[in-house]
Amino acid sequence: MSDEAKDIPKHDVIIIGAGPAALAAAIYTTREDIDTLLFERGVVGGLAAVTDMIDNYPGFPDGVDGIKLADELRKQAERFGAVIELGEVTAIHDEGKLKRLETTSGDMHARAVLIATGSDYKKIGVPGEQEYYARGVHYCATCDGAFYRDKRLVVVGGGNSAVQEAIFLTRFATHIDLLVRSTIKASDVLEHELDEYVKQGKVTVHLGTTTDEIIGKDKFVTKVIGTKDGKKVDFKTDGVFVFVGLMPNSQFLKPTPVKLDEIGFVITDQHLHTTMRGVFAAGDIRSGATMQIASAAGEGATAALKIREYLEGRLHPVQN
Amino acid sequence: MVKNITIFTTNTCAYCQMVKKYLGAKGMSYEEVNLDDHPHRQAEALEMSGAMTVPVTVVTKTDDSQEVIVGYNLARLAPAVA
Repeated sequence: MSDEAKDIPKHDVIIIGAGPAALAAAIYTTREDIDTLLFERGVVGGLAAVTDMIDNYPGFPDGVDGIKLADELRKQAERFGAVIELGEVTAIHDEGKLKRLETTSGDMHARAVLIATGSDYKKIGVPGEQEYYARGVHYCATCDGAFYRDKRLVVVGGGNSAVQEAIFLTRFATHIDLLVRSTIKASDVLEHELDEYVKQGKVTVHLGTTTDEIIGKDKFVTKVIGTKDGKKVDFKTDGVFVFVGLMPNSQFLKPTPVKLDEIGFVITDQHLHTTMRGVFAAGDIRSGATMQIASAAGEGATAALKIREYLEGRLHPVQN
Repeated sequence: MVKNITIFTTNTCAYCQMVKKYLGAKGMSYEEVNLDDHPHRQAEALEMSGAMTVPVTVVTKTDDSQEVIVGYNLARLAPAVA
């Protein structure tokens, strides 16, 4: 090892991300005295932290606020010694037994790395979306919903997130138009809950309706133009919340030997090991993930156990 | 040099907690304006930031110049409070 390399801080494990997969992994590694550092560029807890209510995480019969679940996971990981650094990992280099990570806090070495960077909400890519970002176009209901007290809103999407967040936004907005490109794909429980708001007249669901353009005046959004049955339809609104699926946070991996699938999710073997030796992946970033918080936490625990085997020389990765 | 810091927040905003956590870790004090508790101050946040979002962090320097950071943006927040 060169003198320069000796000066680089070294950890047993560096976890990139601090969402449920990352925090669950950190609980497991730190309880076994494996020195663990987490890097988080966004919010601790990931998308779970910005979700209003989580109804399907085991152990919470009445559901749990996303922000509370994230905080409890963080506290549990920190209790065993996990350290969360607020910053970003920008590159990973394979230096044999050590991986060198370029970070906003300088270079760091790790014996093993866990990629748990999760995913972010996709954009729809229509005119006006970028122009009115944060001035009428939003991707976080729990952050920005409060600005729409007694206003009309459009929510775009038909999956769990769109329905959950539309329901959350009813506490502020007078009315919500839910624009769904095809059909509702949320869980039955959420769909039934949504039906209650539809009956109350607080939400109108527009199935088979595309979102084509976001129009504004004097810097703020005034309407959304969509298409239904081949005809243009105007939806007057004060704001638009977009929840149309997820995109992986894997840009920084593109120049590395870590193989990604065609969308950009990380490919792993059954040990959650990637195509770079000593680098693992868990949670929403992993190709084939179910995008569920409970699954992410489970994968984080599995990854931690596999990392321990790897550090002890007992794991024989399938792909390399 | 920082004279004072004001953060506009809401109860459900996770990014607001991250800003508070970052400033807390740096040992910096701040005034928090919770827009759920004080909705009448929403216009103030909007005027400062030009955006309908939180967190909005207003860093006032000793020369009374102000830097406004919209969202949880460490690349801007860190140098603003350094």
